[in-house]
Amino acid sequence: MQREFSDIVITGLAAITAAGVGLEPLRETLARDACRLTPVPEEVAGEPGHLWGKADGFRATDFIPPLKARKFDRCSLFAVVAAGMALKDAGLDPALLDRTRIGIVLGCGFGGVANSEEFLRGWSTGGSDGLVPMLFPNTVPNAAASNASIEHGLKGPNVTHVQRLCSAESALLMARRFLEEDRADIIITGGVDEINPVILRGFRSMGQLRRFGASFGEGAGLLVLEKGDHAARRGAAIRAGLGAVRTVGLLPRGHEAEGIDRLLGRPGEPSLVSLSGTADELAPLTGRLPAVPLLSPGRLLGRSLAMGGSAMVSLLLSLPAGKHGLHLAASPEGPYYAVDFLGGDPVQS
Amino acid sequence: MIAKKIAITGLGIFCGAGKDVPSFTGALLTGASAIGPVDLFDVTPFPSRIGAQVRGYDPLDHFDRRAAARLSRTDQFAMIAAGEALTASGARGHYSPYDMGVSMGSGAAGMFQGEEWLKESLRGDKPHPALLRGILPDRSATAIAAGYNLAGYQGSVTTACSSSSTSIGWGADLIATGRVKAVLCGGADSLSRLTFAGFNSLRVVDPAPCSPFSLGRQGISLGEGAAFMMLEEEDEARRRGATILGHILGYAVAGEAYHMTAPEPTGAEAARVMADAAGRAGIAVDRIGWVNAHGTGTPLNDAVESKAMRLVFGERADKVPLVSTKALTGHCLGAAGAIEAVATLIALRRGIIPQTLNFRGIDPECDLDYGHAGPRQSDAGVAMSNSFAFGGNITSLVLSKA
Repeated sequence: MQREFSDIVITGLAAITAAGVGLEPLRETLARDACRLTPVPEEVAGEPGHLWGKADGFRATDFIPPLKARKFDRCSLFAVVAAGMALKDAGLDPALLDRTRIGIVLGCGFGGVANSEEFLRGWSTGGSDGLVPMLFPNTVPNAAASNASIEHGLKGPNVTHVQRLCSAESALLMARRFLEEDRADIIITGGVDEINPVILRGFRSMGQLRRFGASFGEGAGLLVLEKGDHAARRGAAIRAGLGAVRTVGLLPRGHEAEGIDRLLGRPGEPSLVSLSGTADELAPLTGRLPAVPLLSPGRLLGRSLAMGGSAMVSLLLSLPAGKHGLHLAASPEGPYYAVDFLGGDPVQS
Repeated sequence: MIAKKIAITGLGIFCGAGKDVPSFTGALLTGASAIGPVDLFDVTPFPSRIGAQVRGYDPLDHFDRRAAARLSRTDQFAMIAAGEALTASGARGHYSPYDMGVSMGSGAAGMFQGEEWLKESLRGDKPHPALLRGILPDRSATAIAAGYNLAGYQGSVTTACSSSSTSIGWGADLIATGRVKAVLCGGADSLSRLTFAGFNSLRVVDPAPCSPFSLGRQGISLGEGAAFMMLEEEDEARRRGATILGHILGYAVAGEAYHMTAPEPTGAEAARVMADAAGRAGIAVDRIGWVNAHGTGTPLNDAVESKAMRLVFGERADKVPLVSTKALTGHCLGAAGAIEAVATLIALRRGIIPQTLNFRGIDPECDLDYGHAGPRQSDAGVAMSNSFAFGGNITSLVLSKA
């Protein structure tokens, strides 16, 4: 038994990505190393030659009644549906549990931007008569997590993080701490994000369409974190153990090595490393990686601010039982994250 | 309960009611409200044309031209208030940059500049790309981390109106876990057309200065600004000779899971979070001398928060003032929790309970002591600060004076 990984475990996963809806399309994509990026319509990008990771296979009305679905923004639709899938994967029915002990802590990227643009467009074109009040509540980035909490009755801690390309990892760090502090027994965490024409117009305006805005993706990648003893008591199937979550905020010039040392912690022996954000471009980090297979789900599915969620789900889908996995995430200007996982049930390892 | 004692060693604030701690303290003590006409953008189409705008603000008083152009109005407020807290703490130079961090609460962020981009874009013009630089809520934290060389942690919580209360609680956690030794935590937000039009479209903005807990109140008055606290583990802070201003004793955070904009009507969910915060602070609710309310001035919020008080404090509820400083500062959204936490600590240290301004009459649904009559002397050592938000996100902080 590896105590370091048994206190907090992962008992459920969910993914909605450019690969499709659910874990199996993602697993197949990873196994085949198949790129799911598709061309961005020229009228959307304003020029030809761009790709994106649009979750075109996702139809909200397959899961949510159309009238209800209309009131959500796209990020909220991803979050509501993926949270339901994650709970189901974990074998959890909140109605049968103390709802105050189930929380949701998500990373979110561009959530709320589309509603904000549409709301303001109404104002710009029609003045106060052009305002659509229904759009306004979902202009906040926490709409996704909050709508998911409302739909699934999750009354535990509810927080949303946005921090560059490490939004999901920021959420994971908090979720882990909340379980350690006994603020909850179960927390759904990970990332949710959307890509849409207004965001691409913004990237284009900033000259980032071929740099950080290239091949942006969307969807949700969620993990159900659970206190190990809680999971054991209910006989849950355990997908992995969660080890340390390390972070540094930025790498000051001339002091990068100290930051990378803090990030990587004590030398471990991961069997598989997943890279998220710009971790694959960070020379001080890539130069220190062990000679093991590297997983870069963003290359296949698209990059997003909260892509760490789907990257961590990808790692856990690929990590054999008993093997150590390392997830690394980085953003230009920081922050940087390193997360340790152990595949399978740590108690059996 | 946070095992380590989390000390507050520096404060910073920049808002309509005061552009630093001394001027804000003066406004808090005298009840000098910042709510007045808004001229940051055109508000003539709205029934309410007032707010607590930061007036007389010239970025070049604080930044050189190049830096000012790179920072949104919100980022600038954040940098100014964070800088004041950092300087006041004297922590700089005592820790490795990797042992210092920033925990930020954000709201509309750089939307004010983003709106300019959208407006010009819709006109068919080519807007300046820098207008989008601060559009995401994380930009202020990145600017603070880089600007003040805080390399240990960089994070932004964005839960609408409870963002910066949560960021302070989370900052305390970052210290408690030993992840960093000193963390600047707080929040910033600026007025924007989005929030001004949005709240007006929901008909929750009062045409007159907001009057929390009063009869005939019609809603909020919007505001803007930033506030920060420097948190350190107390023993470390004492070792370096820091002045301890107070403590973060504990906090609680939860989702009501009820409705995106309406609070759970019985107050039970809010009461649960308030009681949990006291429990996590390791104190009986009897020790809480007064509560800095979320107190927006909307008919529903104020009634529900009053019910929650009765559930938490029972028969003692009548003796625990529930005051709102929003009639002083306006509702500063992503910065509200931090501004109110700073106001709470200042009031505790000054031995007063602030006044809830703009009393219009007694509302039978609000039957507690709201401090409408004026500020009063108090020997309370501990107070609670509540923040409720869109999405049912609730955070309660428990603070004490040193």
